[in-house]
Amino acid sequence: MSALTGGVGPAAATAGPAAAAALRRVTGVPLVRLLAKRLVAAAVIVVALATSVFVLQRLSPLDPAKAMLGPGASASAVAQQRAKLGLDDPFAAQLGRYLVGLPQGDLGMSYRTRRPVMTDLGAFVPATAELAFTAIVLALLLGIFFAVSTSLRWPGASVLRGVLMAGASAPAFLLGIGAILVFYKQLGWLPASGRSSITDLPGGPSGLLVLDGLLAGRFDVVSDALKHLVLPALAISFGPSVAIGRVLRTSLSSEERSDYARTARAKGLTDGAVLRRHVLRNAVGPALSMTGLQVGLMFAGVLVVEQIFAWPGIGQYTAQSIPVADFPAIAGVTLLLGIGYVVINTVVDILQGLADPRITT
Amino acid sequence: MSQDDTTAAVATAPPPTDAGEPVARVEDLHVTFRRAGADIRAIRGVSLEVAPGEIVGLVGESGSGKSVLGLSLLGLLGGSPRTSGRAVVRGADMLTAGAAERRDVRRLHLGAVFQDPMTSLNPTMRVGRQIVEAAGSEDEAVRLLKAVGVPDPARRLRAYPHELSGGLRQRVMIAMAVAGTPSLVIADEPTTALDVTVQAQVLGLVKRLRDEIGCAFLLVTHDLGVAAQVVDRVAVMYAGRITEVGPADEVLRNGAHPYGVALMRSRLSLRTDRDTPLLALPGSVPSPADPEPGCAFAPRCTLAGPDCTTTPPVPVEVAPGHLAACVRDLAEIRAFADAVPAEEPPAAGTSSGATAPAAAAVAGTDDGPVEEPAAVRVQNAYRTYGVGSGIGRRRPLQALRGVSLTVARGEAVAVVGESGSGKSTLLRLVAGLERADGGTIELGSAAGAQMVFQDSGASLTPWLTIGELVRERLRSAGVPRAERDRRVAEALELVGLPAEVAKARGTQLSGGQRQRVGLARATVVPPEILLCDEPTSALDVSLAASVINLVGRLRRELDMAVLFVTHDLSVARVVADRIAVMYLGRIVEIGTADEITHRPRHPYTQALVAAVPDLGVEPPPPSGEPASPLDPPPGCAFHPRCPRATASCSDPGLDPRLAAQPGERTRLTACINLEVS
Ligand SMILES: Nc1ncnc2c1ncn2[C@@H]1O[C@H](COP(=O)(O)OP(=O)(O)OP(=O)(O)O)[C@@H](O)[C@H]1O
Ligand code: SF4
Ligand code: SF4
Ligand SMILES: [Mg+2]
Repeated sequence: MSALTGGVGPAAATAGPAAAAALRRVTGVPLVRLLAKRLVAAAVIVVALATSVFVLQRLSPLDPAKAMLGPGASASAVAQQRAKLGLDDPFAAQLGRYLVGLPQGDLGMSYRTRRPVMTDLGAFVPATAELAFTAIVLALLLGIFFAVSTSLRWPGASVLRGVLMAGASAPAFLLGIGAILVFYKQLGWLPASGRSSITDLPGGPSGLLVLDGLLAGRFDVVSDALKHLVLPALAISFGPSVAIGRVLRTSLSSEERSDYARTARAKGLTDGAVLRRHVLRNAVGPALSMTGLQVGLMFAGVLVVEQIFAWPGIGQYTAQSIPVADFPAIAGVTLLLGIGYVVINTVVDILQGLADPRITT
Repeated sequence: MSQDDTTAAVATAPPPTDAGEPVARVEDLHVTFRRAGADIRAIRGVSLEVAPGEIVGLVGESGSGKSVLGLSLLGLLGGSPRTSGRAVVRGADMLTAGAAERRDVRRLHLGAVFQDPMTSLNPTMRVGRQIVEAAGSEDEAVRLLKAVGVPDPARRLRAYPHELSGGLRQRVMIAMAVAGTPSLVIADEPTTALDVTVQAQVLGLVKRLRDEIGCAFLLVTHDLGVAAQVVDRVAVMYAGRITEVGPADEVLRNGAHPYGVALMRSRLSLRTDRDTPLLALPGSVPSPADPEPGCAFAPRCTLAGPDCTTTPPVPVEVAPGHLAACVRDLAEIRAFADAVPAEEPPAAGTSSGATAPAAAAVAGTDDGPVEEPAAVRVQNAYRTYGVGSGIGRRRPLQALRGVSLTVARGEAVAVVGESGSGKSTLLRLVAGLERADGGTIELGSAAGAQMVFQDSGASLTPWLTIGELVRERLRSAGVPRAERDRRVAEALELVGLPAEVAKARGTQLSGGQRQRVGLARATVVPPEILLCDEPTSALDVSLAASVINLVGRLRRELDMAVLFVTHDLSVARVVADRIAVMYLGRIVEIGTADEITHRPRHPYTQALVAAVPDLGVEPPPPSGEPASPLDPPPGCAFHPRCPRATASCSDPGLDPRLAAQPGERTRLTACINLEVS
C-alpha cells in the first residue's frame, strides 16, 4: 500500500552538467566574479597604501626639496623647489592629484632620478620579478620535498626536522650571508652578486633573463642566469618553504588516514597510487593557502636579499630612494608590491578551485 | 595459550548454504592496539566463517569490535596492532600475507562499503573515475551503476560525490564494492547514515546482488531490525568476543545468550509498549583496556554468578547451527527472556493527561489561535537559505515552507522526516538561534527554550569541567552564587550522573554520559520547553533507551514541554504524545503517536512506517529518492514518489493544506486523495 514510486534524485538536475560547471567555475561567471572582487580589493589596497605613504611623507623630517638640491642650497631655492613639487599644497590636494594620475599609469616623478617613477620601475621590475617568481616556485618545490622527506620513516627524519626548524627561524638576510660565505667564498660554486656575468645580453623582450635567453636560443645566458638566481632565491624561499612543507605534511598525513583513502586501499590500489591519485589533490589546499600567506613575507625578503646580492631590482631602487626621501618612488614600489600580493593570492584561489570541485569562489 | 582460546570454537557450525569452502574464515583472532601506554584489546578470540553467497550480520554495541573484525578481513587494520590467529580470505591470511598479496585479494575477491558515503568517496574525483579504478573500464562502470539502480548512469559518471544525494552516493560505493564480482563484500554500517526509506532500498539491493552475482556479505550493523531484514546468519559481538551466533531468526527471536536477549529487548520498534519504561540495558560496555577475566557481560548480566567471572564461557550448541557462550543452561536463559522486568516509572510518552492538551493543541495548529496556554506556538513559519549551487550563483533553499505547530504546556511532540525536510531548522527557529523569514513564533513564558544536540560531545567546551559548564547556565539565569553548587549537584543527580562527573571534562565521558550532561545543562534551570535534536541517534540501543527514559522522567518532574526531532519513527513513538511528519519543509501529517504509527493516512507517512526495519516485516518495494529542497516539485511536493498521485496532484495551483477528517479531532493530513476507510 505504501510503495514509493518513480522519482529521480535531486542530483539528476546537477550531476550531468558537472563538467560544464567545473569549467565555468574556472573560466566563466565565477571567475569573472572572483576577478571583479579582487580588482575592487586591489583598488582599496592601492588607495590605502598611497594614503599611508602620503601620511609618512607628512610626518617625515626629511625635506625632499632639500634632498634634491643638496646640502648647500639656499633657503629660497628650497622654497622655490617645494612650490614646484607642489609640496606646499594641502595634503588632500596632493593625495587627490596622485590618485587621479594612477589610472593613467602616472606614478609621479622620482625626485631623485627625475624620471617618471613608472619608467624607473619598468627598468627594475624584471629583475625582481624573475627573482620573486623563482623564489615562489622554489618555496613550493622545497615545501613538497620537506613534507615528503620528513613524513617518511627514515633515520634522518628527526634530524632534518630539527635543521629545518633552525633554518626557518633564521631571517632571510642571515641565510643569504651564510650562503655567500659557504657557496661562494669557501666552495666557489656559485656567484654571489648581480644577475649575470655575461655582457652581451639579449635585449628583450621580457627582461627576464632565463626567458629571454631561451627565446634567443642563448643557453649560456640561461645557465648563467640560473646560477645567479640560486643563492638569493634560496635565501628568500627557505623560511616560507618550511612553513609550506609543515602544512602540507600535516594535511598529507590526515588525508592518508581519511575514509576515502581507506576506500581506495580496499579497492586494492597500491600505496603509491592512493597517494598520487587520491591523497595529493585533497592535501594541496592548505599548502596553497599557506603559500598565499607567505607571499607577503617573501616580498619583504626580496627587498633585503637584493641588497646582499647586489641584485639590480626594486630592492636596490627602494634602498636608494629612502635616504633621499624620494616619496613618489617609495609609493610606487609599495603599490606595486600590494598589487603583486593580490595577484598572487588570486592565482592561489584559482588553483584551489581547480583542485577542489566543492569550492565555489 | 591463554584462556581466551576456549571461545575459539564459536561459529564453526556449518552455515545454511553449504556450498563448499568458506570464502572467509576467521580463526581465534586476537587484535590488540596500544594507546596511551595501555593495551586496547579490541578482539579477544573470535572465530567465524562466511560461506559463499551468505549474508552474515555482525551486531553489537559500539566498541565491541565489529569494525576491527571487518578491517582485519580486508587487511586494512591501521595503527599497527598486535594480532594473532588467522583471518583467511580465499586462502590468503590477511594478517600475515605480504602487502602485494593482500592487495591482490582485495582487488580480486573483496569489496568494501563503509558507513558514510560522503567521506568514503574522494571528494575531488569524479565518481566515474573512482568506479573505473575498481571496475577497469567505463562501460563496466556504467553497467555496475545500472545494476545498483542508479538512474541515468552514463551521466552520473561525470558527477562529483557532493553532487549526488546520500542514497546515490551509497549506491556508488556499492557499485565499486561489487566491481569484479568479489566473493565477499564487507559492509560496515552501510545504511546508518541514510534515511529510512533509502535504507530499505539499499538493503533490498544487498539482497538482490547476493542473489544475482552470488557474493557473500559481512554486514556490520548496530540495528537489529536491519539485521532481521536481510541476513542469513547473525553473530552477536560483545567486548571483543562473539557471544552468540546462529540463523538470524533463531538468534533474534529465541536468543540463547543473556546479552542478545537484553539487546533485543532494549531495541525500539513500532510495537514497543509506550506505557512502560524502555528496558535499558544497565551499565555500559566494559573498557577494552581492562577486560573482564571471565564472561565480559557479567557486570551487566542479571543471571551472573560466581561461576561467570573466572574463565570465559565455552560456546555450546543450543540448536542446530546456533551456538551461545554462556554458563547457564538454555531453560534458565529462556525463563529470563520471558520474564517481565521489574516496574520502573513509565517512559517518556506516557505522562498522565497527555492526550488532553494534545487535542487542544491540534485544534490550534491550523485554525487560528486557541485559548489554551501553549508552550510554543509556531504560525506559518518560513525559512529560506541562500546556497551556492556549485557554479557560484546563490539559489534559494526553502527549508521551511509555511509550518504551523502548537505545543501545549507539558506536551511532548516529535517531528519526524527525512534529512533535509526541515526538522532541525524548525527547532532552531523555536530555540531562537535563527529568525524566521515569515510567520511568527511565540514562546509561552519567559522560562524559554533550551536545546540538546545530537552530539553533545561537540557542544561541550573541552577545557571547562562539567560542573563549570552546568554552572554557567545558572550564572546567566541569575541564580545566586551560594546556590549554584547545590543546583549543579541536583541537576547531575537528576540525570543519573555520579557527583564526581562535575570535575571531569567532556572528552573523558562516554557518549551516553555526554548526552546526560547536555540534558543536565539544559534543565538545571527548567525551561518551558526542551528542544531535542536527534539526541539518541549517535547512541547504541541500550544508551538510547536510557536517554529516552531520562527525557520522559525530566519532563514529568520538571513539568516541561518537549519538542523532539528524530528521523526514527520508533523513537518518536515512545517519546511523544503527538507526531508531526515533515516533508520538504512542510508538515504533511500530524496526529497522536498511535495514529501516525499504526494508522498512517498520508501516503508519505505510510511509506515511512513501512520502511522501518523490523523482525517479520517484508522490506518495502523500491522507492524514489527524496526530492531536493532547492526545487520542490510543484503542487503536492510528494507527487513524484506518491503511489496515489493523480493528475491534479502536480497542478502548480494545488496547495494541499492540513485538514481533519470529519469526526476526527486529533489528526490532520495534507493530501487530496485520502483513502478514508
Ligand atoms: N545554514 C544553512 N545554510 C544553508 N542550508 C541550510 C542551513 N541549515 C540548513 N540548511 C538546509 O536546510 C534544509 C533543512 O535542514 P534541516 O537541517 O533542518 O533538515 P533535517 O530534516 O533536520 O535534516 P537532517 O536529518 O540531515 O538533520 C537542508 O536541505 C539543509 O541542507
Ligand atoms: S556467562 Fe554468566 S555473566 Fe555471562 S552471560 Fe552467561 S550468565 Fe551472564
Ligand atoms: S496530494 Fe496527491 S501526491 Fe500528494 S500525497 Fe496526496 S495523493 Fe500523493
Ligand atoms: Mg537534522
